Amino acid sequence: MIVRRAAGWLDERFGTNAIVHVTLKKIYPDHWSFYLGEFALYFFLVLVGTGIWLTFAFDASSQNAYASVLALADRSHPIGYVIRQVHHWAAVCFVAAILVHMGRIFFTGAFRRPRELNWMIGLCMLMLASFTGFTGYSLPNDGLSGTGLRIAYSVALSIPLIGRWAAGVFVGGNDFPTPQLTTHLYTLHVYFLPVLIAALLGLHLALVIYQKHTQFVRDPAHVVGRRFWPDYALRTIAALGATLAVLALLATFFEINPVGDYGPYRPWIVMNGAVPDWYAAFLEGSLRLGPATEFRIAGHPIPPVFWPGLVLPTVTFLFLLLWPFIEARLTGDRAPHDVLQRTTAVPLRVGVGAALIFDGLLLTIAAGDDQTAATLHVRLDTLVWVYRIALFAGPVIAGVLAARIAAEMRARVPAGGEPPPDAVLLVRNARGGYEEEGPQAG
Amino acid sequence: MTVALFLILTIAGALAATAAAAFQAPPSIFGGGLALAFIGLAGAAGATASAMRAPDDLTEPRTARGPTSPPPLPDDGRVTRPAFGGMWLAAIGAFALLGLVPLISLARKPGRASRTGWGAGVRLVDENNAPIPHDRLVAGAIETVFPQGATDLPEAPAVLIRGDDGGYRAFSKVCTHAGCPVALYRHASHQLICPCHQSIFDVQDGARNISGPAPRPLPGLPLDVDAEGYLVARGDFDAPVGPDDWDRVS
Repeated sequence: MIVRRAAGWLDERFGTNAIVHVTLKKIYPDHWSFYLGEFALYFFLVLVGTGIWLTFAFDASSQNAYASVLALADRSHPIGYVIRQVHHWAAVCFVAAILVHMGRIFFTGAFRRPRELNWMIGLCMLMLASFTGFTGYSLPNDGLSGTGLRIAYSVALSIPLIGRWAAGVFVGGNDFPTPQLTTHLYTLHVYFLPVLIAALLGLHLALVIYQKHTQFVRDPAHVVGRRFWPDYALRTIAALGATLAVLALLATFFEINPVGDYGPYRPWIVMNGAVPDWYAAFLEGSLRLGPATEFRIAGHPIPPVFWPGLVLPTVTFLFLLLWPFIEARLTGDRAPHDVLQRTTAVPLRVGVGAALIFDGLLLTIAAGDDQTAATLHVRLDTLVWVYRIALFAGPVIAGVLAARIAAEMRARVPAGGEPPPDAVLLVRNARGGYEEEGPQAG
Repeated sequence: MTVALFLILTIAGALAATAAAAFQAPPSIFGGGLALAFIGLAGAAGATASAMRAPDDLTEPRTARGPTSPPPLPDDGRVTRPAFGGMWLAAIGAFALLGLVPLISLARKPGRASRTGWGAGVRLVDENNAPIPHDRLVAGAIETVFPQGATDLPEAPAVLIRGDDGGYRAFSKVCTHAGCPVALYRHASHQLICPCHQSIFDVQDGARNISGPAPRPLPGLPLDVDAEGYLVARGDFDAPVGPDDWDRVS
């Protein structure tokens, strides 16, 4: 009754009912993998909600930050404990959800024309999510994150020509640590980066709605799916509930980032076996595998951290950013597509994806090379060289292998997606056995 | 029916979490209540979705959004091309240049502090600011030391090692690779190790970088003993501290 009257009041003034009507009956294609991006969206909403609460409990000065987080990490304060835990778990899950969502977009060819721009926006959000995560994880000014910041400062310093300036902008001064470092990171973490993400997120979703969602159903002339209300809306509420439930369980029963164990940051103290949150680990790994050579250009040093710490992630980012155009050039397919592909449809893409995943995993594993070497009783130098060779040889082998497998699988299913006339369909029956359906089976 | 059960779970979970917060119960009760409430929400929405599932897929036409190629703007006799087009562009460019000024000025003092606090006659002190008598460390022991009166300088920390021969050596504790503290000492092989990226330095060979990604040795600190028997520096580090950068031309 109240809803109806409020809707009527708004409709008289703004004509909103027509818009709401169109929105509610809009058709969305349905597939389980289309919910991956939604999980990322819900993690972001949780981050904003819990983050706002945390700003009231956190003291953003370098002197008091650690003590104020310790008070939150105290189990005798259940709300603060759970909210902070949810926030950190949501951050690591946010980056993971974006990455898995991107994997779906990549391997089904959803980034192809006309959706190249939305792919690029998504990739920028992945990078911003990692930066936001890193700045947030560094706010407590504890022993673990302080060391990570020191490394990041050194990487920023290594940029040719503008290194000192870039490092100075990053930490807000000409030294490490500066007294205002935490306040500086707080501004980045709480205002600048989340606002950028929110703006790109709005654009991302607006483009999905405007261009209409891709689908697996091979009907390029129509969107085939279910209405927003009630079908899709109820399922997305279920996805939201599931996201929140998983976060609540993780936060309550699995402690993350126990800063009390790390102690406050003191520049001359470091923990053994220190590794960052998972999404930054590949950079830690690449720094460990990087060369020790320092080049000089007209007397100016190029520090060794420049190559693994900056060139590698920048080149990877640019390559992925431009992938829709690179693939269009390599395959010659520049036509617009609204129908998704089987993951095996373009062997070249499968190979490139496999190569990137291989190196991503390898560098992440390399972040723990000291512990791996100790566990396996091998010399660390030996392990580093094995990793270095694998870093270049592995993606070639994995890529070629994956592309071959994709090509063979594709050969068995023609491009049209229709099975060959003599194919037999195996259908699993209620007892768990298989029955043939096809020409022979009749 | 299933929906009702899930909604009961939601209500129970939310009430339990609220009560847990009100009575300062342990986090497991508060968080557990939240989890139950959200599981209920997911279940109720999911069960409703299954119950209300539309029998068939619906369709909506898809049309390409472009190219739209609209007709040119109506010609009402005016010259639509703005006058001084190049000058307008130049003005926009000038504003863009002006916009860089605040960005560049963000680095308050462009440059890099390089004062270590060490110099001839400066006493070595430990974490508690106590000077170090020359007989304090046994052979094979190490200690983190700072210049007296300047313990807060980021490039100040040094690691003091007493060798098997009884002699002292001191090196910058800031790794020349990425600036981590070189915190581990392996006495048997006389190696200093950075736990961040596993750079290894040979203490008996001037802290030379023998393994890992560090590009050069740890700077050494020349030592002496003053008249009162305390360890002092004979001067500053013999090389720049920490990782190099473009502007550190030596």
